[in-house]
Amino acid sequence: MSAAKPLSPETQSALDLAACGLLQTDGDGRVLRVNRTFCNWTGFEPQDLIGQRKFQDLLTMGGRIFHQTHWAPLLQIQGSVSEVKLEIVHRDGRSIPMVMNAQRHTAAGAVVHEIAAFVARDRDKYERELVESRKRLEALVAEATRLQAEAKDRAVFAEQMVGIVSHDLRNPLSTIQMSTAVLSRGDATPNQQRILGRIARATERAGRLIGDLLDFTQARLGKGIAVSPKPIDLQAVIADAVDELAQAFSGRRLRHVREGEGSCNADADRLVQLVGNLVANAMTYGTPDAPVTVLSTVGESTFTIAVHNEGTPIAQDVLPDLFTPMTRGANEANAGRSVGLGLFIVGEIAKAHGGRVSVTSTVEAGTVFSAVFPRHDA
Amino acid sequence: MDIKRRNNVRVGGSGNATLLFVHGFGCDQNMWRLLEPDYSKRYKTILFDLVGSGGSDLAAYDRDKYGTLQGYADDAIEIIDQFANGPVIFVGHSVSSMIGMLANIKAPEKFAAQVMVGPSPCYINEGDYFGGFERKDIEGLLETLESNYLGWASTMAPAIMGAPDQPELGVELTNSFCRTDPEIAKHFARVTFMSDHRADLPRLTAPTLLLQCDEDIIAPIEVGEYMHKVLPNSKLAIIKNVGHCPHLSSPSASTDAIDTFLATEGL
Repeated sequence: MSAAKPLSPETQSALDLAACGLLQTDGDGRVLRVNRTFCNWTGFEPQDLIGQRKFQDLLTMGGRIFHQTHWAPLLQIQGSVSEVKLEIVHRDGRSIPMVMNAQRHTAAGAVVHEIAAFVARDRDKYERELVESRKRLEALVAEATRLQAEAKDRAVFAEQMVGIVSHDLRNPLSTIQMSTAVLSRGDATPNQQRILGRIARATERAGRLIGDLLDFTQARLGKGIAVSPKPIDLQAVIADAVDELAQAFSGRRLRHVREGEGSCNADADRLVQLVGNLVANAMTYGTPDAPVTVLSTVGESTFTIAVHNEGTPIAQDVLPDLFTPMTRGANEANAGRSVGLGLFIVGEIAKAHGGRVSVTSTVEAGTVFSAVFPRHDA
Repeated sequence: MDIKRRNNVRVGGSGNATLLFVHGFGCDQNMWRLLEPDYSKRYKTILFDLVGSGGSDLAAYDRDKYGTLQGYADDAIEIIDQFANGPVIFVGHSVSSMIGMLANIKAPEKFAAQVMVGPSPCYINEGDYFGGFERKDIEGLLETLESNYLGWASTMAPAIMGAPDQPELGVELTNSFCRTDPEIAKHFARVTFMSDHRADLPRLTAPTLLLQCDEDIIAPIEVGEYMHKVLPNSKLAIIKNVGHCPHLSSPSASTDAIDTFLATEGL
């Protein structure tokens, strides 16, 4: 191999002072020229490199493979490579990351490669951190997705269980109810009749709870509560419901205020259930020495059922969550009474009719739960 | 599945026999640009990109399918079925010579001969076998690929440095030559350099030319000599060439060796 023509001292000096490493090699990679900067960075003297080593000998093994599979073909075909980061092995064995550009040209019929190199330690560190961060992030996202799917599965399963169990409880309850009825029609002493009465009422309560749970399951599993709207005499339906409730809450005052009248398209049983839930709530959380009022209003295009009670108002920050299942108002004394489904079901009944619910609660005006419905099928 | 689009297939030339050029790890069918034009005057030629490289459909890269070289071999057979009208001469570079071998073993009637450029059946040393690398060297390669991660997609394009001496290449090669998805590049590298197909060599009965460079760190001479001993029907041609790509750095010597072989086989 022929050595490169010596450069003039001025040219060599200028190259030596360049702020980057500069090499010139032949087409096979043998070093023809090198500047001082590159030598300082890599620990080699010019005479160690010129005519002695190939550029690729200075790379790590991985770099040497990459040099063969990418660097060299690219220089062959497109005549240049740019911004390639490889590790140069210092004379003492440590690796120095360098970013390099190279171009290929011919001089006097021979192929020459010009290479410029910059040490890239900080950039290398930064890039590694970026790659690590990205890997960590991807792992976290994968984990979060997995946990979310798991949580969703558990929730669906739990809700399905509630539905199945509630459904299965109906049969034994039915047996208890029928048996109680038979016993109380027969020869029972007054004391036994009282006891049978307690059993009957408790069974009814259990039945209502099961009904609530089934409604809840249906609503949560996306189907929404089932309603069968028909034209009904709203005021008559509500009046009957209030009468029954007054008997159930015989120690308390329950009033019915009616405004307007007319036919409304709704599911009467569901409206009775709605009134029942709201009145039960009002009785539980309202002050006992003031009446609970049911207000039924038939308007031109809508009808409204509202239930009012006096007493400690509901905290403002709790109001938005009241219709969410499994949350309860602030009255801890009554915590054992329900599983918090009553209002959720009230909301679902309204929704199933195309209506909506709302609540206001202040010291002066008391607490009012309202459900507004479209009068006719929308 | 549109095979032409999937593998960026280009058909050209005309002649009685068909040459199928298959690039190896790194870059794409452009690697044949110094060889193929000459052969297209005398043969029908088919060029394509392996899935995951060059202008292939990256969306078709299935890590399971391409977790072994057989996935690529099956693609090659599909390409032969669709674009060739007879047995082909498979010209494979580097790892693709093994792809050609696997395809040939699976469907021998579709192949007339094999030309293996810089081939190796196994890159990692084992016992008496010299593949050229220790396992840690291959891990080092994967690390190198990893650390060049942020510079992959448009890196090395002539946009920055231009394409001196061949300015007409500048535009057409911008951002396509050697462009690879970094994850695919890493996976392909692992599949290539961890592969071991020494056991398959005795099953390749088609006439085979081994084009061996005298100074190639990826396919060293010892490997070429080993293959020549084990293959049932092979010829070994040693080319004076520093590096792994004689079809780029020594195109006329490569052409001479291939032509001599094809003449001997009557192809």
